[in-house]
Amino acid sequence: MLSKGVARKVTIYLNEDTQHHLSPLYESILTYLIHKGVAGATATRAFAGFGAHNVLHTPKMEALAEHLPIRVEFIDTAEKVEEVLPTLYDMVTDGLIEVQDTHIVKAAMKEKRQSESKPPRTREAAKAKLMQIFFGEADRWRDEPLYDAILKQLRMMEIAGATVYRGIDGYGAKGHSHKKSFFHISRDLPVMISVIESEEKLNQAASAVERMLEDGLIVISDVEVVRLVHANLPTS
Amino acid sequence: MSMQTYQPAKLLRLHVAESDRFEGKALHEAILEKCRELKIAGATVFRGLEGYGETAEIHRPHLLSRDLPIVVQIVDTAENIERLLPVIEGMMGKGLIAISPVAALRIHK
Repeated sequence: MLSKGVARKVTIYLNEDTQHHLSPLYESILTYLIHKGVAGATATRAFAGFGAHNVLHTPKMEALAEHLPIRVEFIDTAEKVEEVLPTLYDMVTDGLIEVQDTHIVKAAMKEKRQSESKPPRTREAAKAKLMQIFFGEADRWRDEPLYDAILKQLRMMEIAGATVYRGIDGYGAKGHSHKKSFFHISRDLPVMISVIESEEKLNQAASAVERMLEDGLIVISDVEVVRLVHANLPTS
Repeated sequence: MSMQTYQPAKLLRLHVAESDRFEGKALHEAILEKCRELKIAGATVFRGLEGYGETAEIHRPHLLSRDLPIVVQIVDTAENIERLLPVIEGMMGKGLIAISPVAALRIHK
């Protein structure tokens, strides 16, 4: 499983019919990559293309449809790529290997269903920070409600959790009242987002929110987190 | 985080009921008015969906009547909160008042 951050991307261009020990080369490469524990690899058959031989391979010409290009791509850490590259260099007798630096933004994996019995309920107490962000429901950030945008940003930063509250009444430094009125169709009720995280991550979150907030208030305080781990009773 | 711009402040949380009244109007509205009068920086009123408090009544919406929990949150300097507190205490017959020290940053671009 890869993690977010710097990584290497390898792209190998092949002919569909290039052989390696009696099987197609792209299959041999995929088998080798699985064997070496590479995080993942994809082989794609191109629709059309040409390579060093300067012959256009296209499905329009039946005779040439058999020689379509294949592209094998994989992304892994620099160390892993260094490890597998010499063998790939050997294997690719006809084709092109390209390596580029890349940046992993998200590496998500559906959680495997845990069949093992869970440990008994435990309480984890820890010091943390609570951030409350106050602004208006009508505030926007690049064509979407600000509270949606902030929530998305926090999720991308892997902030543990955030809750959006809508107030029923209030006023801020602007002095104008946020109140739902029968006579006013547009409404700008107060909104508050609360976030609880470790000090380090909360500071990152605060900086991000500071950039997005046009007019509002950020309040940070110390809290004691009591987290119930495996709050549901273990099944025997 | 640009910590130098965060100022020490107090967060005041008032837990009341939606049906609480003060001089003929809803208590939370009266509190908001008083805050404005005393030039408190800001206040926000939240209505809970459900809850229970010191009177052990369950606040839950009924078909005909409802008495939901209300929380008023106020952030200001320690001096202003000190100034506000006795006034608020006089207005609240029952309920809960909680104060926490916070670091606050007012953003106005």
